[in-house]
Amino acid sequence: MPRKSKKVAAERELFEVEARPQLDVLYSMALRLTRSPVDAEDLVQDTLVRAYRFYDRFEAGTNFKAWLLRIQMNTFVNRYRRASRERQVFDGPMAVPVGEGVMSRASMRGLTDPVGDAQRRLIAREINRAFEELSDDARAMVLLADVEELSYKEIADIVGCPIGTVMSRLHRARKQLQGSLQNHAVQLGIIEEGDDEVEDPIPLEAFRSRKALKS
Amino acid sequence: MSCKLVRRHLGALVDGELDPATQIEFERHVEGCPGCQEHFAFEASLRQQTRDSIGGVHAPEHLWGRAIRRLDEIDEAKAEHTSLIHVRPMRWRQTWPIAAAAAAVLIIGAVVGLPESTEYQGAGMLQDVMNLHSQALPSDVQAEAPQEVARYFQGKTPFPVKPAQFEEPSMKFVGARYIRVGTRPAAALYYNHLGHRVTLLVFQSPEIMRNAQHTHVGGRELHYYDVGGNVVTIRQHGGVNYAFYGDIDRPVLFQLAANARVAY
Repeated sequence: MPRKSKKVAAERELFEVEARPQLDVLYSMALRLTRSPVDAEDLVQDTLVRAYRFYDRFEAGTNFKAWLLRIQMNTFVNRYRRASRERQVFDGPMAVPVGEGVMSRASMRGLTDPVGDAQRRLIAREINRAFEELSDDARAMVLLADVEELSYKEIADIVGCPIGTVMSRLHRARKQLQGSLQNHAVQLGIIEEGDDEVEDPIPLEAFRSRKALKS
Repeated sequence: MSCKLVRRHLGALVDGELDPATQIEFERHVEGCPGCQEHFAFEASLRQQTRDSIGGVHAPEHLWGRAIRRLDEIDEAKAEHTSLIHVRPMRWRQTWPIAAAAAAVLIIGAVVGLPESTEYQGAGMLQDVMNLHSQALPSDVQAEAPQEVARYFQGKTPFPVKPAQFEEPSMKFVGARYIRVGTRPAAALYYNHLGHRVTLLVFQSPEIMRNAQHTHVGGRELHYYDVGGNVVTIRQHGGVNYAFYGDIDRPVLFQLAANARVAY
């Protein structure tokens, strides 16, 4: 075993102290992105190796968790090379317009206050299923914002896009999740199908220009 | 203030990500609007349920250990590289993205000057020995006749160097090169075994046998080291060490090394 220089050893120790608490977050994210425990482990390992190599570029005092997640996201994108293609579908002209009225009022009520543990477990399962049906990009958005509770600014840094884009991508991802959830939940009889009107979706562009006029 | 506007930004509102003025304005609207209140409650509740349903995944126990071992390898590589290079124009960290260029620097470093350290032995030296093979330096002498090779090394090394003789006709001698292991002169003999490179390093390092593992192959005792997933077998005759290693499977290598005639 070659002698480690003191500098290398100190840096290594610091890295381990900082990275160890983030392992569950990295793995959770990796598992959701790759959908495979084997691939997830490889992805986390590659992420840590890259992070360690780039450690001198990490700015002390900034968010280490966000920094690690950014490296992991890049590693994932580089390896699978799918995200950019999906993002085009997701944000581009093929994107399904999503308004605020995806869910009926009755569905909403059924999902807002699940009654009893059995109901909660059932909904949890359906959320998982709905989540799995999302694209890579949408899954990443929901994970970063709803599960990891990162700020839009941090998410923007991680996925490498402006904050406004985070907002619209996140909105779209959540609406997709809700739409899918409603379909499953209604089919299973967890919630009743609402007979009240579903509001017309507002095209995002129209809304943006209207908002731009206002401001 | 329209309900549509508020509901369009409900996600950001629940996240508290609107600019402060808008955030306050929207919250005020929600307080006084039962419809938006319901939407708000749903959005917040679903957020919580999503977190509970999808979050809470724990990494497998062994994952951290696995990652740590990879980091160890990086540190070891770093330590090796710094011990090899006399003049370092760049820090290792900065050189890694241009790995190819860095590797070229290392090769030059390895040949031009190895550190004159009394502690230079064991793992560090073995890694260098291993590197000499992976670098595949060109031969100084490419001769068929063993005596030409022996003549080439006369006066260069303090011990006679002759190509080893193998029982296996599949072992072909390719060439030889004068090198240094640490500060000591040595000879690298290159062979080809069914398309795979095998290196025989002839050098002097009496202490190297001390920590070697040993086994018996065909009634002959054979010493060897595991070096980062590779195996280096070492024999010692008359104060000279003969290290065999290469891109071949361990049992084949053991067989070749054990049966080779080195001092004749």
